[in-house]
Amino acid sequence: MGLKKSTDKTDEPQDSVSFEALVELLNHGSMAEKRLAARDLADHPNGRSELILALQNETDVAVLEAILDSLQQHFDAQLANDLLDYLRSENVFVRNEVIGILQNYPDFVGPHILALLNDVDSDVRIFAVDILQLLAHPDTPQWLLSVIKDEQHINVVAAAVDRLAEVGTPEMIPELQALTERFPNQPYLSFAVKTAIHRIAEAS
Amino acid sequence: MKRVLVVDDAVTVRLYHCDLLKTAGFDVCEAENGVEALEHAMQQPFDLMLVDVNMPKMDGYRLMCEVRRQEALRGIPIVMISTEQEEQDRQQAYAKGANYYLVKPAEPELLVNIALVMTGGSQ
Amino acid sequence: MPMANDHITEADFERFRDFFYRKTGIHFDVSKRYFVDKRLQARMAATGHPDFRSYFTELRFNPKNSEIEQLINSMTVNETYFFREQYQFECMTEEVMDELVRNNINMRVPTKSLKIWSIPSSSGEEPYSIAIFLLEHWPGIEEYDVEIISSDIDTAMLAKCKKGIYSERSVQYLPKNIKDKYFKYDALTKFYHLSPDIKNAINFTQVNLADIKQTRSYRNYDLIFCRNLLIYFDDISRRNAAEVFFDALKPGGYIFLGHSESMSRISSLFTVKKFRKAIAYQKPLERGL
Repeated sequence: MGLKKSTDKTDEPQDSVSFEALVELLNHGSMAEKRLAARDLADHPNGRSELILALQNETDVAVLEAILDSLQQHFDAQLANDLLDYLRSENVFVRNEVIGILQNYPDFVGPHILALLNDVDSDVRIFAVDILQLLAHPDTPQWLLSVIKDEQHINVVAAAVDRLAEVGTPEMIPELQALTERFPNQPYLSFAVKTAIHRIAEAS
Repeated sequence: MKRVLVVDDAVTVRLYHCDLLKTAGFDVCEAENGVEALEHAMQQPFDLMLVDVNMPKMDGYRLMCEVRRQEALRGIPIVMISTEQEEQDRQQAYAKGANYYLVKPAEPELLVNIALVMTGGSQ
Repeated sequence: MPMANDHITEADFERFRDFFYRKTGIHFDVSKRYFVDKRLQARMAATGHPDFRSYFTELRFNPKNSEIEQLINSMTVNETYFFREQYQFECMTEEVMDELVRNNINMRVPTKSLKIWSIPSSSGEEPYSIAIFLLEHWPGIEEYDVEIISSDIDTAMLAKCKKGIYSERSVQYLPKNIKDKYFKYDALTKFYHLSPDIKNAINFTQVNLADIKQTRSYRNYDLIFCRNLLIYFDDISRRNAAEVFFDALKPGGYIFLGHSESMSRISSLFTVKKFRKAIAYQKPLERGL
């Protein structure tokens, strides 16, 4: 009894499992097996499509996290494209995780922003503004400005104003001011506009 | 003084809701997502949670499930507040344990009145 | 050359505060204004930005820069010494260990051995503190085996751990009886030499948390200490690390993060658990949405 020095082998080679077996485990294994399979499929040439597919049906958040984590190991333009579809997912968890992931890839997400901001679905437009919340892309302020100029949906506009409180610049103040006339009797929006203008105008 | 935890990822929404509630005599605390809300709720008592649906890391629905699952938190009334206004969104919120569902942007008087009702009357 | 204007207005402070909070979960209220301003100004000077706006633009919009790490470093105090953040060790010996023992008894295959992972090992103060704290304050150590594994990405650090030689500063918060019991003081060099019994009780390993294959053999841990590391990682690496810890823990196992860190900016895989002296994050015993 007492402290015991571990005899764990930490560099043991792992048994390799066939692709078919991994796909089977990903879809029908226990939670731990699904997570492991998701990990192993990251490096498999045909793994991505299976992972993307599993994203549709899986409900356990621990498995979903492993799938998303695995997909990110090889991020590229195609993956950005595939993930953008999930902004329309009915699964709130998947949707929000996808937003969080996309925020990290300005180069791949940037080319899609205008299309998203012009989507027919106002929810998708809000999610686009959510992506901009942390997207390190130099066009972010201009995209947000375009929202407050052209957008008709109050909640999309309100989300954009919220982000501009952080990244807006002084020349945007007139456009912000115009919002209070365009959307009269909207106490939250006028509060957000006031906050954004205060932060922009009094910035150094 | 009744205490409200305001949970939303948009900073101006948090500021606005906190302002309204403070003016109405509530004590407020804010969190940016569901996990942070749980961290706060574990450490101090709240009489009400005002919870957004779409948030990073842990959304409003999962937060509500966690709160309802934990014995120490189970009884806290939760008002969900969301940009989603379909009837099915409302029903989903009630089915998962919300005490009230508000659509954004919410009327300030309505929000304050609901907070008062949920916490047992005027301050 | 334009005049440097490093003045930070109230609005600048608010913008920065909200951004930093969203990134790290650390909230500075107005009373911290002076502290924050001073550190921001120092970083602006160090990076050659003439004013806050230009510095903030770089911070917010340059995805390839590591300034945020430097900034976090300057906003948080990251020293390492024995018994640092002692309340977490107290939480471990007063509550967590006994609960972990109960979990293990209820397992399908009951075990009388517990595993603790301390990462990063840095120069060894943390894993050794855990060992000493368990020996001194957890009666269960008489009855159960505890394995402590400590890892770091940096082999130079691991070599330092294995040497176990510490300066006065490292041991300054240790009670005298502990120092006398576990260290030998070398009056000539003024260094403290950790007792071989403690040094030999810990298995040090090199690991890169970003390498999934390397971390795969880390399984069946009851408790993980990962303090003041993830806060310096970018979002993707933090997420990866949380995944590694989730798989490394037994169901019901716990993880402690550093005092200024919060799982709320990292992952929602863990349940928040409040103990008397600290918060810990638990891998759920049974899972569901």
